[in-house]
Parts: sequence; C-alpha cells; structure tokens
Amino acid sequence: MKTMVRVKIFGVMRLKSGVSSFETEAGSVNELLNCIPGIERKEAKNLVVIVNDRPAGRYCKLKDGDEVVLLSPAGGG
Amino acid sequence: MATKYGGYMGKVLKINLSSREVSEYPFSDEERELFIGGKTMAAKILGDHFKGTEEAFSEENMLVITTGPLTGSGAPSASRFNISTLSPQTGYITSSNCGGNFGYYLKKSGLDALILQGRSEKPIWIEIQNENIQFHDASDLWGMKTMEVQEALDDKLRLKNGRVRKNGKICIGPAGENQVLYSCIVSNERVFGRGGTGAVMGWMNLKAVCASGNKEIPVHDKEKMVRHTQKWFRYLRKHPLTGEQLPKLGTAGLVSSMQMKHILSTKNYSRGQYEDFEKVSGERLAEEFNIVNKGCLTCPIRCARTVEVDGKQVKGPELETLVLLGGGILNNDLESVLKWNYELDELGLDTISAANTLSYAMEANEKGLWDNGLKFSETEGISKIFEDIAYKRGIGAELALGSKRLSEKYGGKEFAIHAKGMELAAYEPRKAVGLGLGYAVSNRGGCHLNGGYMVILEGLGLSMDQTTYHGKADMTMMFQDLMEMISASGQCLFTSYAFFPSPLMRHPNSWYTKLVNKVLPYCGGVVRILNKYPEIAALHLPVFHHTKGFEYVTGMRMTFGHYMRCGERGYNLEREVNRRFGVNANKDALPKRLVQIVQDPKDPTSKVPLEKLKKVYYHARGWDSDGLPTKKLLKKLKISG
Repeated sequence: MKTMVRVKIFGVMRLKSGVSSFETEAGSVNELLNCIPGIERKEAKNLVVIVNDRPAGRYCKLKDGDEVVLLSPAGGG
Repeated sequence: MATKYGGYMGKVLKINLSSREVSEYPFSDEERELFIGGKTMAAKILGDHFKGTEEAFSEENMLVITTGPLTGSGAPSASRFNISTLSPQTGYITSSNCGGNFGYYLKKSGLDALILQGRSEKPIWIEIQNENIQFHDASDLWGMKTMEVQEALDDKLRLKNGRVRKNGKICIGPAGENQVLYSCIVSNERVFGRGGTGAVMGWMNLKAVCASGNKEIPVHDKEKMVRHTQKWFRYLRKHPLTGEQLPKLGTAGLVSSMQMKHILSTKNYSRGQYEDFEKVSGERLAEEFNIVNKGCLTCPIRCARTVEVDGKQVKGPELETLVLLGGGILNNDLESVLKWNYELDELGLDTISAANTLSYAMEANEKGLWDNGLKFSETEGISKIFEDIAYKRGIGAELALGSKRLSEKYGGKEFAIHAKGMELAAYEPRKAVGLGLGYAVSNRGGCHLNGGYMVILEGLGLSMDQTTYHGKADMTMMFQDLMEMISASGQCLFTSYAFFPSPLMRHPNSWYTKLVNKVLPYCGGVVRILNKYPEIAALHLPVFHHTKGFEYVTGMRMTFGHYMRCGERGYNLEREVNRRFGVNANKDALPKRLVQIVQDPKDPTSKVPLEKLKKVYYHARGWDSDGLPTKKLLKKLKISG
C-alpha cells in the first residue's frame, strides 16, 4: 500500500517547478523523485532530500504523513 | 608617485579636515607588490600610523578609503572598494567593503586611495574632480537621510546643460551624524555596513564625498584581459552558485537551506530553526516582492533585489537582514522587514548590529534584566525605535550602544551575541562550528566573511560534518586568506564561489560529492602544508580565474600560491595592528550561549568547541599561544623588517 506524504520544494528548483508544496503517494524517496511537478527525474536526483527534519537517501522508505523537504543544490551568501 | 603597474592610478591623497591641508601620501611600487590594495593597503597605511593609543573619535584616527587594482578594470564584479578605520564599535581596526560606484569614480579621478583625518569645524562635503579637491559647506545637507542627500548632491553637480556630472558618492545619514557606534556609510544603495565607519565620518563633520573624473584606468595587457574576462564571465554565469542561486534568489535564497541545516539564527540565537521561516524566505521574496534584479558595475551575478516600499522601488533585504529581523526577533511579516531594511539604510544604520541589539534587548526584557518594553514577536513601533537609535532619543540612545555595552550595563552577557563588540551575522554557529571559530578570530569582530565563511562547506555548498572540529581551523585560515586577497584586489567575494568545482555543487548526491564531504575533515594536514608553503602552488588553477586576471591587469606575477601568501600577509597585518590595541586570545571569544550551551539537547556536539579550534588555528597560523603573530612570522611575511 502506498503512503501519502506532504512535500515542500525550496531553492531554484521551486522557481522552476512553479509549485511550492504538494501531496503525493510515494513509498520511498526514489518513487517520489518520479512525481515532482515540472522537474524531470534526471534533475530531481540532484535534490537534497530531508524527511521529517533528517537527511534522507534515495532508498529511504516513507511512511504515511511524512513531511519531505526537497532542497535545491544550494550555497553561497 | 607614478607606478609601473597597471590597474593603479599611482596616487594616494591625504586630506586633513582640521587644517584642510591636502598632500600626496607616498605609496611605492614595492608596497603595491606586498600590500596590493583595498583592505590590505588600508591596513598598511593605518599600521604605519597607529601606535595603539589612538581613539576612534579623535584627530589621530584616519578614515582610509581604498580601491583595488582590479576596481573598475572590467573584471567581473570588480567595483568593490574599502573603508578602514579604527572602529568605535570594537576598538580595533575595521574594514568595510562596498559595491557602490564611488571606487570606480575615485579611480577615474586619478586616485587609488583617499586618507581622511582630523575634524572639520563645520559640516562639509568634499568634491574630488580629476585629483582636485574642493571643500563645500554641508549645513544644508546635514540632517538629510542617505538617499535624499545623494539626490541633493546630484543637483549640486548638475552641469549647465542640465545633466548631472557622472560621479560616485559616499555619504552618511543621521545615525552617522549622531555617531551611533554601528552607523554605516552609503554609496548609491550599497552600504559599508559593519564596524561603525559612518560614526567616524560623522565625528569628522563630513557628510559626503563625491568623486568624478575622466582619467583612464590603465590595464597592463588589454587584449589578453578582454579575452580572459569574457571567459571568466561565462564561467561565473554557468556556475550553479554565481549563475543560478544568487541571480535567481539573491543571498536571501539561503534561508531555507539554513533552516534545514539548523543554522538559521532564531530568537536571539537561542535556536537554529524558525517555524515560520517560509514566510520570511528568499523564495517568498523572489515570488511575491522582487521587481527586478540589480547588480554592481561589471557584475554578472546581479544578486541585489528590488522591492517596493511606500510606492518607491528600493533595495531589498540581504540574507542577514531578512534572518535577523525575521526569525531573530520572531517576526514572520516579510513586508515589515522590507520596510525596516529601507529605513535602516536611509538612517545609515548597520542592519545586522541594529537587529541583534534589538533581539538582545527583547531577551533582556523577557528575562527581567531590563524593563524596556520590547518583546519578541511584537513589531509595532520598531520603525520608531530605529529612528530613535539614529537620533539617540529615549530608549534609542541606549540601543545605540550595541549589545556588548548594554550587556555590561544590564547583564545577560551570555546572550549578547557579539565578537569583539560587533554583533554576529545570521548563521547560528553551533551547527557550523568552523564558522564559529571564524566569528571569534575575525579581525573585524563578528563577521562571517572576514571569519572565512566555513559555512559554505558546513552545509550551504558542501555537507561536511557540521559539528566536528577536525580540519576546520586550517580551512578557516585558507578561506580567510583567499577572501582577504580577493577583497584587496577590488573584487566581490562572491566570485570566490567559483573556486568550488561546479559538479560538486550540482550533484550533492553523487558518489564523488559524498566522498569529498566525508574526506574533508581529514584534509587539515594537507591544507596546513598548502597554507604553510603556498609557493608550491606556483600555477593558475583552472577554476580560479582571479590570478590570471590580476596578472593581465597589473603586470605583476601572481600564481595561486603567491595570491594566497598576499592574503595571509593582509590577515596578519590587520592582526598585528590590532595587537597594538590589545587583541589577544582572550579577545577571540564568543558568548557563553554559543560555546557552553548545546543547541540540541540530544546532540552534545552542537556547540562551538572554541578553545580546541583556536588552539589548532593559532598553530596553523604560526601565531603564539596568545594568538599573536610572532616576530619571525612578521618578518617572513615582510610586514616588519
């Protein structure tokens, strides 16, 4: 059974996507990377993923109600 | 005194405002080779003058305005110029850097630097045109805010045909006139924010300086420089930091990254995350408020934002202001930050010190130490508070002292967030401990840039272990020296980001980036060797265009190793001058909140292990155990004979 997660995007990828947050069904981060509005998987692979305030890898399993943050490769300031 | 080198106009003028005497200040080619320009040239001039007994508000202090050889040369982001002086805020020399157009026009007028000393009897402004100096009465300008005075000066420089003579300006606002310790100097919309340079200018009774001229800025090898500059521009435009992140989101784009890495200063640095950060983020600024990007002269990055305040298009806030007037005081109203940012620039107040002083006062009130009526999250009347600071009225007269002095009066030293008397930037250092070291040892006081900006490796560019102390002291030294030299050359520090190869920035999840992140803490030894013997890097790095650009503009030989050595010389020179004013290891300190109290109770490493870091850092620098450069080192660096 797939799980419902809430996703937020930050950084330049958010401007590209045009979406700041969305909800989707995804059982793992890997699955989630296929369904980001306006962002192809090739680019999505470069997003830094944070699940419930902890850094997460591509194979991290997601649970129902998880909060996922996708950060653009960022820096400088 | 003419020069054989390109990039320099070959002349430095000294103006005594008390006597109105103008004289040429000797600065030889040998000194140019060693002390380059910008903040290092200024440190040399101040170092030759200061004995350690001078005071900021005195005839003995000097305001040294310097350009670098690349200022106005056409190199990317090369409009920068520097003001150094004995800071009324820290009691040490401060250097403040700005991207306005005054540096370019100072060079067009034929000068590399201007030294101001003494105090005019009455308020004046100075006009420089092709090396000629004129003193003008400024009684009609005194009291004006920074934009108003610049418009008024343009009117005074209007030609017979009605057009304004092309010029660059620096000026102060009411805060500088009233000698608020953290008042700044403004050039166009750009600001020399830190260290209280505006207060020194105010003490001098100097409202503004305008420079104009039509002299050509010489470039040693124009043809090669043009080709190199084109390549350099392309490189910066393609780099993920200078070509995407900064142009699209400005520095404010870092807010969300800082939140995720727990380094977003919140409620006077008591936390590293702010629950309402999205409301005061760079993304929201870009999506809802940014009208257009702006950039300094010859800058491909164009990081400045333009927003609307009270029907006027004005400069938007930088990251520091957004964070410290946002989560720093638990304020989630972005529009209020835009307004205050504009008002603080108009008054001529440093937004960082003003915001941190405010958050200190709020916490002091909350803890019952000082009944001042200021409360976190309550933002009504803050505009009036800022006005009161600038005019030293009521509670503003106290807040004008800054958080260090207030904590000495009311208590709460553990949460007065400053280093050497200057308030810290917006990065909470308990989860970026290398930056914590940088804040503490910075010559300027609590500055992220003069501190080496290690946070770029600790989560904002790469993802090195945020709380380990391994490797960080040596890297801090390397980045401090690198940025010292970029600044001395007359370029913006943002050009240094291109030092990090694009693939590492673009692919944070790749095996090679992960490997670099893992290995970095163990690289201290290698970096130590490079820091100690930079001459072994007798080459031009493909990712670092600065060295070749420097050679083409000046005609001086400048390999990467030599570049680093010049930076090291500059850093040590400032430290040596500060030694005369009493700097030592005890002064390289941070408040207890950051070094004794963990940010995360579940993570015992989430505090700055400052003493450990300092020990390694002093050793790396070749300083003694009291944190001072040895005589041998000063001789090796040709700082002393």
